[in-house]
Amino acid sequence: MPLTFPIRTILSLVFILSMAVSSWAAEPMEAIKQTTDKILSIVTNPALKPPSKTAEKDKLIRQAVDERFDWEEMTRRSLATHWAKRTPEERKEFVPLFSDLLERTYMKKVEDYSGEKVLYEGETKEGDYAAVKVKIVTKKDKDIPVEYRLKKEGNNWLIYDVSILGVSLVNNYRTQFNSIISQSSYENLVKRLKEKVELK
Amino acid sequence: MMKKFDLELAVGLFIVAGIVCLGYLSIKLGKMEIMGERGYEIYGVFSNVGGLKVGASVEIAGVNVGRVKNIGLKDYQANVVLSLPKGLQIQEDAIVSVKTKGLVGEKYIDITPGGSEKIIQPGGRIRETQAAIDLEGLISKFIFGKL
Repeated sequence: MPLTFPIRTILSLVFILSMAVSSWAAEPMEAIKQTTDKILSIVTNPALKPPSKTAEKDKLIRQAVDERFDWEEMTRRSLATHWAKRTPEERKEFVPLFSDLLERTYMKKVEDYSGEKVLYEGETKEGDYAAVKVKIVTKKDKDIPVEYRLKKEGNNWLIYDVSILGVSLVNNYRTQFNSIISQSSYENLVKRLKEKVELK
Repeated sequence: MMKKFDLELAVGLFIVAGIVCLGYLSIKLGKMEIMGERGYEIYGVFSNVGGLKVGASVEIAGVNVGRVKNIGLKDYQANVVLSLPKGLQIQEDAIVSVKTKGLVGEKYIDITPGGSEKIIQPGGRIRETQAAIDLEGLISKFIFGKL
């Protein structure tokens, strides 16, 4: 009989702990919301407004984005059939190059933020995969539907594809990469990406 | 007598050949299968297929590899069943999109192969789908930037 008490405490402790762990593994929509809020707070921060702080602001935004995006998965999906043919060294070179290109392409758009609203429309989950639907409402009351595709990595939901207006980012780059590689070569693709990154 | 018989035989053969051709044509054009399916099926769920029709072609790199076998509603979304030939492997991260031939042409399904080692099993589902929109390519390059 005296044993029941500690056993009960232990059991309830285990239960509480498991609850805590499961709630820590944030839901996909929650994950997107967290990152969006984080980036918006950086962009709207008046202390980071002056042009002299742009570099610092960029760094903070990049950090927030890197936490949420699975760049390797995104690159793997974008290179598709060509990924398997790459050596580990080539992959190691390509992943940061591609993520750099994407970040540079969208950094400007993020920094141009001027009070657009973000509405969270819902999520669908299926095992280790999830999709989160978001609507961005511009000041002119135009809706831009955005869909994030996420994959569960450990306890975290990471983005591997973004669809804007129903057009998938991965599919866009997959087609472009494929046509560049098949028309010229992988080396040429890397060269073009490098040029593009330096230009921005 | 002999000559007349030859003529009748020739006409008969001609008509039989004609009927066989007609049968072949109607099976081909009607996209019926008499020998049963030799391929396998996979499905994908789209938010909008924009009037895609059963029998529409399925293409990879512009090559016709299969056809749309069935389109139905599932939770108010379009559930599209694709019939593909045996031996054609579709990776788990392949993207299926509904596209339009030309500006106002018919709708068809385009598959861009992925790089995953996992292959979709017969009866399985393609997770990555892209709904139908017009001027897809243009918008795509406009939003994501051309290389």
